Amino acid sequence: MSDSHNQTVAAFFDELGSRGHEPLLGKATGSARFDVVDSKRTERWLLTIDKGDIGVSRKNAAADCVLRSNKATFDGVVAGEVNVLAAVLRGAVAVQGDPKLLVLLQRLFPRPSGRRPRRRHSSTARRKQ
Amino acid sequence: MSDGIVKILDGNTFVVSDTRGDIEASATDPTGLFSYDTRFLSRWVLTVNGERMNPLSVDDLQYFETRFFLVPGTGTVYVDANLSVIRQRAVGNGFHEKLTILNHADEPVDLSVRLDAGCDFADLFEVKDALEKKGRYSARVKGDKLVLAYDRETFNRSTTISASESARIDKNGLTFKIRIGPHDEWSTQLDVVTALAGLTGRENQDPTGSARRMRRDLERWIDGAPRLESDSDPLKATYRRSLVDLAALRFSPAIAGGRSLPAAGLPWFMTMFGRDSIFTSLQALPFTSELAATTLRALGDWQGVGLDDFRDEDPGRILHEMRYGEMTAFEERPHSPYYGNADATPLYVVLLDEYERWTGDRALVRERELEARAALNWIDEYADIPGGTGYVWYQRRNEKTGLENQCWKDSWDSISYRDGRLPGFPRATCELQGYAYDAKLRGARLARLVWKDPAFADRLEKEAADLKRRFNRDFWVEDGGYFALSSNNGHLLWSGIVDKSKAKAVAGHLLGPRLFSGWGVRTLAEGEGRYNPIGYHVGTVWPFDNSFIAWGLRRYGFKEEAAVVAAGILDAAEFFEGRLPEAFGGYERSQTMYPVQYPTACSPQAWSTGTPLLLLRTMLGLEPQGEFLVIDPALPSAIGRLELLDIPGRWGRIDAFGRGRVEIDTKGR
Repeated sequence: MSDSHNQTVAAFFDELGSRGHEPLLGKATGSARFDVVDSKRTERWLLTIDKGDIGVSRKNAAADCVLRSNKATFDGVVAGEVNVLAAVLRGAVAVQGDPKLLVLLQRLFPRPSGRRPRRRHSSTARRKQ
Repeated sequence: MSDGIVKILDGNTFVVSDTRGDIEASATDPTGLFSYDTRFLSRWVLTVNGERMNPLSVDDLQYFETRFFLVPGTGTVYVDANLSVIRQRAVGNGFHEKLTILNHADEPVDLSVRLDAGCDFADLFEVKDALEKKGRYSARVKGDKLVLAYDRETFNRSTTISASESARIDKNGLTFKIRIGPHDEWSTQLDVVTALAGLTGRENQDPTGSARRMRRDLERWIDGAPRLESDSDPLKATYRRSLVDLAALRFSPAIAGGRSLPAAGLPWFMTMFGRDSIFTSLQALPFTSELAATTLRALGDWQGVGLDDFRDEDPGRILHEMRYGEMTAFEERPHSPYYGNADATPLYVVLLDEYERWTGDRALVRERELEARAALNWIDEYADIPGGTGYVWYQRRNEKTGLENQCWKDSWDSISYRDGRLPGFPRATCELQGYAYDAKLRGARLARLVWKDPAFADRLEKEAADLKRRFNRDFWVEDGGYFALSSNNGHLLWSGIVDKSKAKAVAGHLLGPRLFSGWGVRTLAEGEGRYNPIGYHVGTVWPFDNSFIAWGLRRYGFKEEAAVVAAGILDAAEFFEGRLPEAFGGYERSQTMYPVQYPTACSPQAWSTGTPLLLLRTMLGLEPQGEFLVIDPALPSAIGRLELLDIPGRWGRIDAFGRGRVEIDTKGR
C-alpha cells in the first residue's frame, strides 16, 4: 500500500495501475467501479483484478461492485483521512453489488497516521498474570 | 427465562423482550430489536381494549423463534378468561410476528387491538454507556406502513412496520378495530423490517421464508455434528444446548460469502471478534470445522496492512472487534475494525495449524500463507514494543477509546501486581508469550509441510526454542513455583511453553485451594491484592478459560486433573440448564453449593457455548496424529459411559468411547 498523503483520486488510480501485480489482492478476481461525483460531473475508474493482477481504466462498464461517493469523501479515502468502512456504514460511500471485493480493496487505501509502536528501553510490567 | 427476559436471535440480529413479548426499553437497558449494533425497535407494546397482557407461558420453539401465551388484564384480581392472545415471533431481517386472538365466549366481542411502536435507534455502545444522539428522528405513515427513521448527515437507519390485516396507522403505532365471533379467532401478521445503508449482506427480505430456511439449516447443523450417547443425561442436554446455541451465534458477515463464523455473545458482543472467534473455532474443531474455515478467511481478509493509531492497526495484526453502529460510522469509536489486541495474531496461526491437523485441508493453508507469514512477522516486528526484548507486549496508541488491556482479560484492572497495584505500560502478560511460542512452532510445521520453506521453518523453530528458554528463566517466580497466580498458567500449559520440570508445580497451583473453587479455576488466586470472587477478571471462574486449562493439563499428561476441571464446569452447567454463562462467581463450591452467575455476564456467549465441546475433547483425549485420531479417555466417574459417534476429520468419521473412572471429590478437593 501507499503511504503518500494528499494525493488526488486520479493519482491514486494511476499509481495503482502502474503496480501491475499487487500481492495483497492475490486471492481476488473481479471488477470494481468507483463513481466519484463532483457536483454535476461523475468521474469513473474501473478496476479489474485477476488474482492480484491489476488493470485500471476509465471505462464506464458494468462491474461486480460499484462504489459511489462525492469527491470530498473519496479524496479523504485516498489521502488516508477517511476510513472507507466507516464511510460505507454512514452512507457516505454507497456500495452496490458484491461487497466481498470491498474488503480486499480496503487494504489498498492509505492509513491515516501511522507511527510505529513506541520503542523504548525501560521495562515495566512483565512478571504479572 | 430465569430473569423474565426472552431472547431470540439469528447471528447479529436479536430481540430481547419481557415475558409478554413487550418491549419498553430505557436508554440504558438492552431490550429491543437489535441488528448490526443498532436498536431498531425500542417500544413494542400490545394492548387489547386498553389493557396490557398477562403472561401464561413462553415456549422457546427455536433459537430464532418463540411463542407467548397471554390473556388480557394485568391485575391479579381479574383476568379475562374469555380471550386468549398468542404472539409467535421469529427473527430474520427484523422480526415477523403472528398475533392471534381467540374468543372463547358464546357472544361476539368487539376489540380495539393496539400495538405501540417507537424507536430510539441507539448504537449498542450508547446503550452500554448511555450517550446522547446527534441526529434527527422521524415517524411517517406511508400508505399502509409505519416508517420510523433516524438520519444524521448521510447516515440512515429505518424500521418499517406493516400488518397483513387492515389497521389504522399513526405515528405511534397500529390499531385494529375488530369483531370476533363466538368461539372464533382473529389473526394478523406483523412485519418489522430493518434497513441500513451500507454493508448488510442480507438479501432475504422475506422473514417467513427465512424462518423456514433457518429451521432447515439448524437440522443440517445438528445432523452434521457427532452424536453423543452417555449414561449422563445432563451431559447429553448440555451437549445439545451447546450445538443449538452455537448455531444461533453464527454470524454471516457480508464478507464471508454466506458462510458463518461465531459472533461473541448476547447482548453486548453480537459482532465479529478476533479472539473470541478463534477460541470458539478451536473449541468446536472436533465437531465442525466450518467455523474455523470461515474465521480464518474473514479475519485474514481484514488483517491489518498499515499503521493506524486510531484503530491500533499494525501490518499483520488480526482484528480485535468490528462494529457497525453509528459511533463507528462517524469514527467516534475505532471499530471499523479495531485492532487493539495482542493475542489474536499469534492465535490465528495456532488455529490455522490446528485446523489442518483435523481436516487435512492444505488448500486453505496455502490460500492463507500470506496472512500467516504476516502474523508471524507481526510478533517480531510490532509486538516487541520496547525493542530487543523478544517478548510480546501491548500498549494502546489510541489513548482515548482504545483498550488498555489487550489480552483476553481486557478489563481495566485485570492485570496487577500481587499487592493490587496496577503496572505501567507497555505490558507483557505471560500467556501472550505462550501463544507466540506455539504460533512459531505451528508456523514452522506449516512452512515445512505446506509452504515448502524449510529455511523459514528452521528459523521459527530456533526462535521458539530461544523464547521458551528465556521465558522459563525471566517469567518464573522461583519462590512461589508459578508464572503467575492466575488462570493464565493453564494457557501456558496449553501453549507448551512450560518446561517439563515446572509443569507439576504449575498444575498443582491450578488445582490448589487458592485457584480452584470446586467448580473451576479462578481468573485470579484467592489472597491476591485484587482478588474478588465477583470481579470480572479478578476472581470469577470463566468456563472458556477452564476448557483451555483442561486442554493444557492434558498436554502435559495431567489427565486426572483435567477431568477434575471438566467435572466442575460440567456440574456448573447443569445449574444453567446446559447454557454456561460467560463467567460465574469464584466462591468456594462447598460454601455456595451452586455457581453464582456474574451479574452482567453475556449469555449465550460463544466461547462459553464452545466450552462443553472442548471438555468432551479433553475428557476423551482426542488428538489428531497424522491421518489418525488418537483416543485416550480419562472421564469423571459420574459420567459413566460416554460415546461420541461420527467425529469428522481427515480420517472420515470415527467413533470414540470412554467410561468414567476418575473419582471426583465434589466438595472441591
